[in-house]
Amino acid sequence: MFRLTIRTILSHKRRLISTVVSIVLGVAFLAGTLVFTDSLRRSFDDLFSSVYSKTDAVVRSSEEISIGQGITQRGRIDESLVDLVAAVPGVTAASGSAAGYARILDHDGNPLGVDRGMPNFGMDISDNPLSVWDLRSGRLPSGSAEMAMDAGTFSQGDFVIGDQVSVVSQQGARTFELVGVVGFGDADSPVGSRVALFDLATAEEFVGQPGYVDSIQARGDGSMSQSELAARIAAVMPRGTETLTGVAMADDSSNQVKTALSFFNTLLLVFAVVALFVGSFIIYNTFSIIVAQRRKENALLRALGASERQIEASMLGEAVVMGTLGSLLGFGAGFGMAVLLRNLLSAVGIDLPQSGLVLQPRTVVLSFVIGLGVTLVAALLPARRGAHVPPIAAMRDVAVEQPSFSSRRLAAGLGLLVAAVAAVAVGLTGQLLVLALGVALVFVSMFVLGPLLARPVARFLGAPIARARGLSGSLARENAMRNPKRTARTAAALMVGVALVAAIAVFASSIKSSIRSVFDEQFTGDYVVSTQTFGFGGLPVALAPQLGEIPGVAAATGIQIGLARVDGKDQGVTVIDPATAAQVFDLGAKFGRVEDLDSTGILVSTARAEDDGLALGDELQLQFLDGGTHTVRVVGIYDRDELAGPYTIAKSLYAQSGGDQYDFSVYLTLRPGADTDAVEQALDAAVVDYPYARLESRTEYIESQAAQIDMFVNLVYGLLALAVIIAVLGIANALSLSVLERTRELGLLRAVGATRRQVRAMIRWESVITAVLGAVQGIVVGVALGWAVVRALRSQGFTEFSVPTLTLVAAVLIAIVCGVVAAARPARRAARLDILQAVASE
Amino acid sequence: MSVTLAPPNTGFVLAAGAIDAVKQYGRGENAVRALDGVTIGFERGRMTAIMGPSGSGKSTLMHCVAGLDSLTSGEAFIGDVALGGLDQNQLTRLRRDHVGFIFQAFNLVPTLTAIENITLPSSLAGRRPDRDLLDAVVDAVGMRSRLSHRPSELSGGQQQRVAVARALLGRPDIVFADEPTGNLDSHAGAEILAFMRTAVRDFHQTIVMVTHDPAAACTADRVVFLADGRVVDELAAPTVPTILEHMKTLGGEH
Repeated sequence: MFRLTIRTILSHKRRLISTVVSIVLGVAFLAGTLVFTDSLRRSFDDLFSSVYSKTDAVVRSSEEISIGQGITQRGRIDESLVDLVAAVPGVTAASGSAAGYARILDHDGNPLGVDRGMPNFGMDISDNPLSVWDLRSGRLPSGSAEMAMDAGTFSQGDFVIGDQVSVVSQQGARTFELVGVVGFGDADSPVGSRVALFDLATAEEFVGQPGYVDSIQARGDGSMSQSELAARIAAVMPRGTETLTGVAMADDSSNQVKTALSFFNTLLLVFAVVALFVGSFIIYNTFSIIVAQRRKENALLRALGASERQIEASMLGEAVVMGTLGSLLGFGAGFGMAVLLRNLLSAVGIDLPQSGLVLQPRTVVLSFVIGLGVTLVAALLPARRGAHVPPIAAMRDVAVEQPSFSSRRLAAGLGLLVAAVAAVAVGLTGQLLVLALGVALVFVSMFVLGPLLARPVARFLGAPIARARGLSGSLARENAMRNPKRTARTAAALMVGVALVAAIAVFASSIKSSIRSVFDEQFTGDYVVSTQTFGFGGLPVALAPQLGEIPGVAAATGIQIGLARVDGKDQGVTVIDPATAAQVFDLGAKFGRVEDLDSTGILVSTARAEDDGLALGDELQLQFLDGGTHTVRVVGIYDRDELAGPYTIAKSLYAQSGGDQYDFSVYLTLRPGADTDAVEQALDAAVVDYPYARLESRTEYIESQAAQIDMFVNLVYGLLALAVIIAVLGIANALSLSVLERTRELGLLRAVGATRRQVRAMIRWESVITAVLGAVQGIVVGVALGWAVVRALRSQGFTEFSVPTLTLVAAVLIAIVCGVVAAARPARRAARLDILQAVASE
Repeated sequence: MSVTLAPPNTGFVLAAGAIDAVKQYGRGENAVRALDGVTIGFERGRMTAIMGPSGSGKSTLMHCVAGLDSLTSGEAFIGDVALGGLDQNQLTRLRRDHVGFIFQAFNLVPTLTAIENITLPSSLAGRRPDRDLLDAVVDAVGMRSRLSHRPSELSGGQQQRVAVARALLGRPDIVFADEPTGNLDSHAGAEILAFMRTAVRDFHQTIVMVTHDPAAACTADRVVFLADGRVVDELAAPTVPTILEHMKTLGGEH
């Protein structure tokens, strides 16, 4: 039997290739992601342990506020602690370091580094053995007029030593003389951050807080272990600080970067799973077709004495060979994928330390187990069905016609669908794994129901084609309808891809509509000076009052995002200027007035007030990064919390927090009848020092806020293209097998006068009908999923449900193109068919 | 040769034919001559049967004259058109518009109904079939009540009748039938032969039939015997006994 398996595989090499490719792509994505991630981890571990190699202990604030999604801030500590650390017996050197947001501008005044990417910051550098920086050329900066920078920025900005370089921080824009270039360990820059370096005093004053440092590094004399030294230092440190060993600090830093990149990692793994899922549909389909075609052969084997088990084993053997081959190739391709991912990231400005690719045993095992497992699971059912053939079938000409309706199928499909909907409903309450399972179940139920839908839907979709394309069109339609199981299974792979695209598109479109309607309702101003540096850095707080004084401007209000611990819980809080905010925003005050807010008060959203049972006059405990606690009174409750979130406090309060003071945007209202051209000119001139800020009109601003979602959506579309490519391969594969099966029929058509062109058209349109069937199913499923998600997130600000008609129409058009592309080879083969072979009697 | 070729373009008596047709498969030592210099003509309005043992070249001859296969040397023609000079598309159009086919099995497209199969060549050409002729043909083969059935719902004999109707509808210059009764029982086979006979008599249709069944061959006006790729004998107004006798003298087994 084994020999038979091998013979069969070798005699169908082409079919083998296209089936294997669908496994290869999925496994390549999986292996690529794992190799990439492991390499990244290793290189960050290496980088940070080399950076902290000379540091035995680190002291930093124990105050940390973390509100999830990697948004974390740590407090600063008093600079005087440096001397205290230095005085600890066994410490040979101690130095403080200060860091904060800073943006380096290039020669043309454009900001270097990426918005919303790795942070861009300023920091101190000094000639001490504990410095994380290695001087590469020039010298260290000293005094308030000199700076150094990382080598990455140096080459990106095309600087030379001696240049005058503009840097913007919370203190505004300033020009420094560039005196030195440094590396971060072996790397040019810390993961693509753009870093400006000053002496400690300048760093504290320009980017930090005078008299405070972010951390203190200490080096021991080697007489004790790192942990002994850290314990000794900790003993003399005040409350509100923590002391780590150098090794722990390296781990911590490395982990922070890894966490920041883990979103990307998860996204990639999700797409690997999607690719494998789609691939499994194709393997299932291919094996089903092979089984149907080999029915007679198997019956003959049965008649000659082969057991069902032997035949099943032979077919599974084929699956094992394909799965192994696919996993092997996919595993190899995974390395290419890992390199590609690294280049992709560096193309978007995230420099990764270059080091060799890391291959963990886990990657090898997972690639093969999953690649082989998916193939076997997908092949199991067809193999069993193929083996279950009565020997007598060998003697009969078996009718290929299949029953079009099966109530068992309907019941099973509907049952699965109900289970899927229930799982999705549960999943949407926040259980992401259950949600993923539910979505997968939705697809499986559509897969089961597909054959019932395929015939009527293909009849309907094929109608215009049959009308427009004459006989080729109606033959194409008939062919799509003749074997609804096969058509449905072939379409299923595309269904999954299109459904995911449709769901994301609906989701994105709904977010955009919601953003538009929220801003439309709550932002009553005319202009915005906005930055993308949400959460870290932005515009100096002094800018807003400056803009407010421009003639024609009625009010200019800066908005800060602050971090605070409210009644023991870490929160993002909105920080406003009560004097001007109400002239630009309408929060829908229910009780109290925004203008009454001062440094002892807080505004709370209606939703939060109801949840926590808060009323006007109630008191809350607010703790900031510096460890200081403030008791504030609720002076207002507002309905509209989509922009402001649950808590809003005054700038006068947040100024006492010890946190950096930046507005992420300044919002303006003009006086009635103001000369807009003149105001715009004046505003342009006023923000010229902040090139990373954009002056936008109300409409522009709302549109650009809505458009921010596009970047993410495009990334997802790009990755889903993989699923579509696999689906196209699947359609091509199924069509090739169909062409093979219909050799005689095609020959007959050619003999009685069908031109090659007509035969090609027939195959092509069948492919298009199949593809559109998949797309339409996908759109229905996707829109339903999108609706469910948007509905579930209604309380999170998803006020609108919007279906992006244009995108969905585009999806159908792309499906048509996919159909045409998938049909290219099978159609050519069908047209080239040797008529004689097809019609010759026996 | 007992066949006289009419001069070109003057009152053609031949619907199709071949002159010194050679078809060779393979090269060198492995070369096989399926046709070894066949010259033959098929008269208009008559039914010619081609007989011969397996491997005699009878199917190859039919395929080459029908434009399904090409000759190694020599010439095949339909009407006044020499096939050798035609490209694939021209050949396809020639088959569609001037030739009818009846095969032994798998004559019909399974996804099309009986009537759709009958009108298939005209649909492929984008033409509407002649209504009166269609009615006449459908009635002639007695399929009126089953026109909307699919092939899988028809018996073998009914399927062949549909194939005959398809071959006749286009009023082709010539119909090629390749063992049209080979898969049928004797009753159904006799019916099909009767329809073909009627077509020759009533529609003046030209038919060339390849067969190894003397009972089928005797419905033809003439029987041509092939052996080893050559025309070795022929017989006018054949009967089963005369055919059997000729076959015996040729020593051919079938």
